[in-house]
Amino acid sequence: MPAIILADSLFGPFFRKYFYYYDSYPLVIQIAIFLTGVAIVTTVVAYSSILLRRGRGYLVDARTKKINQFLDNLITDHIIFNEDVMNGVALTDVQIDLAPFQKPIFRQTWVKQALIDRLIYFSSSFSGDRNVLFRRLFIELELEKLSFKKIKSISLSTKIVGLVELTSMGIAVADVIILPLTNSRNRKLRSEARIAYIKLSKNDPFKFFDDATEPLLLWDQLELFKIITTTEGLTIPNFARWITYSTNKSIVSFCLKLVIHYNQHEAIPAIVKLLDTKDHYLRVDAINCLGKLKAEEVEEKLILIYNNQPLRCQIEILKALGRFSTGNQINFLRNEFLRSTDFDIKKNAARSLIKHGRQTKEVVQMLIDTATPESAIILKHCMNPLIKY
Amino acid sequence: MKTGTYIEAVGEFYEGAVFIYGTTLLIIYAILAMLSLGAVRRFNKLDKHIDYNLLLNSELTPGVSVIAPAFNEALTIIENVHSLLNLNYPNYEVIIVNDGSTDNSLELMIKEFDLAEVDFAYNERLKTKQVRRILRSTNHAFSKLVVVDKINGKAKADASNAGINVSSFDYFLCTDVDSILDRDTIMKLIKPVMDENRKRIIAIGATLRMANSCVIEQGYMQRVVVPRQLLPRFQEIEYIRSFVMGKMGWSVINCVPNVSGGLGLFDKEIAINAGGYDPLSFGEDMELVIRMMTYCVNYEIDYSIRYIPVTLCWTEGPATLKVYGRQRSRWARGLAQLMWAHKKLLFNPRYGRLGLIVMPYNFVFELLAPIVEALGIIYYIVIIILGAINWEYAKVLLVFVYSYAIMISTLSILWDQLTYHTYKTWREIIILCLTAFFEMVAYHPLIVFYSIKGYFNFIANRKHSWGNMQRQGFGQAGPRTRAITANS
Repeated sequence: MPAIILADSLFGPFFRKYFYYYDSYPLVIQIAIFLTGVAIVTTVVAYSSILLRRGRGYLVDARTKKINQFLDNLITDHIIFNEDVMNGVALTDVQIDLAPFQKPIFRQTWVKQALIDRLIYFSSSFSGDRNVLFRRLFIELELEKLSFKKIKSISLSTKIVGLVELTSMGIAVADVIILPLTNSRNRKLRSEARIAYIKLSKNDPFKFFDDATEPLLLWDQLELFKIITTTEGLTIPNFARWITYSTNKSIVSFCLKLVIHYNQHEAIPAIVKLLDTKDHYLRVDAINCLGKLKAEEVEEKLILIYNNQPLRCQIEILKALGRFSTGNQINFLRNEFLRSTDFDIKKNAARSLIKHGRQTKEVVQMLIDTATPESAIILKHCMNPLIKY
Repeated sequence: MKTGTYIEAVGEFYEGAVFIYGTTLLIIYAILAMLSLGAVRRFNKLDKHIDYNLLLNSELTPGVSVIAPAFNEALTIIENVHSLLNLNYPNYEVIIVNDGSTDNSLELMIKEFDLAEVDFAYNERLKTKQVRRILRSTNHAFSKLVVVDKINGKAKADASNAGINVSSFDYFLCTDVDSILDRDTIMKLIKPVMDENRKRIIAIGATLRMANSCVIEQGYMQRVVVPRQLLPRFQEIEYIRSFVMGKMGWSVINCVPNVSGGLGLFDKEIAINAGGYDPLSFGEDMELVIRMMTYCVNYEIDYSIRYIPVTLCWTEGPATLKVYGRQRSRWARGLAQLMWAHKKLLFNPRYGRLGLIVMPYNFVFELLAPIVEALGIIYYIVIIILGAINWEYAKVLLVFVYSYAIMISTLSILWDQLTYHTYKTWREIIILCLTAFFEMVAYHPLIVFYSIKGYFNFIANRKHSWGNMQRQGFGQAGPRTRAITANS
């Protein structure tokens, strides 16, 4: 009601002036007149916004293009084609001429920001000596101070930008600053803080795994996986530590993926313990991991638990048996293929039998000869090199 | 009581009911506009930090099956399949379902892609017309391609179901073989799935637009242009409003009623358990989504359906009234059919948002809207004839409705401009904005007319002619026509 009174006090005089009988109109018509005014004003504002946005976008694009060209030339001349580097001078003795980067134009904040963005861009495109020089320039021009200032900002999006800048340029940040951010409620900040922590922490880059209360989303895992597997000089821990103790299921699941990537056989006992977990999605991940690690020693255990497992786990066990290809479970796989009425079980049993290669050549041929046409075609499907899945 | 008094009483009741109906609808539009603005801004803010290329080289990238049914697409099938095979995504397969084409599209594909019949174990989880054979390429360059050759099922739904049966991955992307996809389509659509772990994302959609007048070469979008013809241009505005404002707004409160058949990523397990596409439905895309939601509620799965405000697909809109009318009648019939088939969900609190928001909104403000509008026009004419109209009030109300409609369309275009910058010139934007002024008088009556025709067909159970929808084709030197299943 106060809103209506306010609206009436704001717009009422206008309508009374131009609609002589405004007060005598029924309420419906008064509302319609009022809302017509609102609609017209909103439409005009919307048009103006569209035009202004496009105009501003055009100007910003043109400005950015111009300054980027200028910055690229500077960076190319003084870093990429740095005379000292070209002459083979030791990296520590290379001189960077800072003067061109300290011209008055660089006093403007947006130009400094453009320089930071270009340095990040070049830094991601180059490696080795040039990368060290980009970092040196970043520090010598005190641009990292701007990034640190951003991290301390109240605005979460500014904090994120600061973190991304420091991470991209490989500038060390104290654990005490980043660690609290790794559990931030803001998803993007949390994710960037975790990446930054792994990349920049000097002490224990995986420490946040211990305290992570928020789940690691699949996208977070994708980002972390890339950082972990591509960061040079990172000491890779035994991920069994978190597989055993972490109460965060997404951390456990992620560690299983890392175990596969780093082929950490020492983690097998921890993974075997995970077969008793009640969460069958995690069990699927554990069985998958054991299969990919070719942990043949767990073959018997997998057979033992097979009948009590849900379909997803059973399929994963069949795949693992194929990956092991020990030859000990040919009868089991054959029986599953013949006995099961489930298409996916039959298909995975067949695929695992075929994966055994020569060991099962005769069995597979016998099955093709004696199985029903529906079953035989599953075998042929799995044998066909043109069919991947 | 005298007859005149009866008429007056009915008139008053009708006017009151329409007032409440109209006001509620306008309030809903205003709420959707606010919700979608928030969603678009939030998306923009986060998206600028996202490096989608991470997906390209990761072991953790989820697999996706792209399913594209095709019927008599010989004219463009080769270039369109090439473009589907070149999407920016490392882990996907392309399943082209040849739905009993009577032209030489299959032969062309066999030749172009070195296809050979394989012993494929076809698991018919969803019932379809008989699959004659499955072909794979002997050329490693096309190893992602699977071609399913089946008997015509007289519906895109049947072909899509066959594609789902053949698919290998947990998520499938359904599209039309003649639609043009952005190269990053899969990356953009899979992202919401990877960003959520509390709810199960069962479907994701994105904005579709008109491909008419766009410059398309070899199956790739080269230059986006606002449609030159009026009818497709009206549809462009309608699509922007529907996707950017409507569906984005509904997405915020997890009440998305439909993921378009032209482009949608679906959770395969849920789609299969819900029974797949219904070949007998005239609105198979919405029907599937409603059934997937129903399934989730029945099995207590905390689901979510998402939309992203990015244009990832361009489809050719009908350019002639005849084709347009057939399409819209079919859509309206599909909506009526769906409401009838799922009437138990309406206002049913057991189904939560589905029963109390999605279905009631679509029943009251989508299904009934053309009827209310048609009755309104008749009522107007009657009171004009009877001389009972108050012209002053009538004009005020008409101006109000007209200006409100333009405001909603303009805001949609503005929201769209926040994420979509592919119109090259100011002129195109201005043309689009100006078209909104004529939409209500020149385009909206068509929607009302063809919707009522569709309802009539549904009630009369008239046989629907699946016939052919003539399309112009993309990027050709001259106008060539080709026939596709009437499934748009």
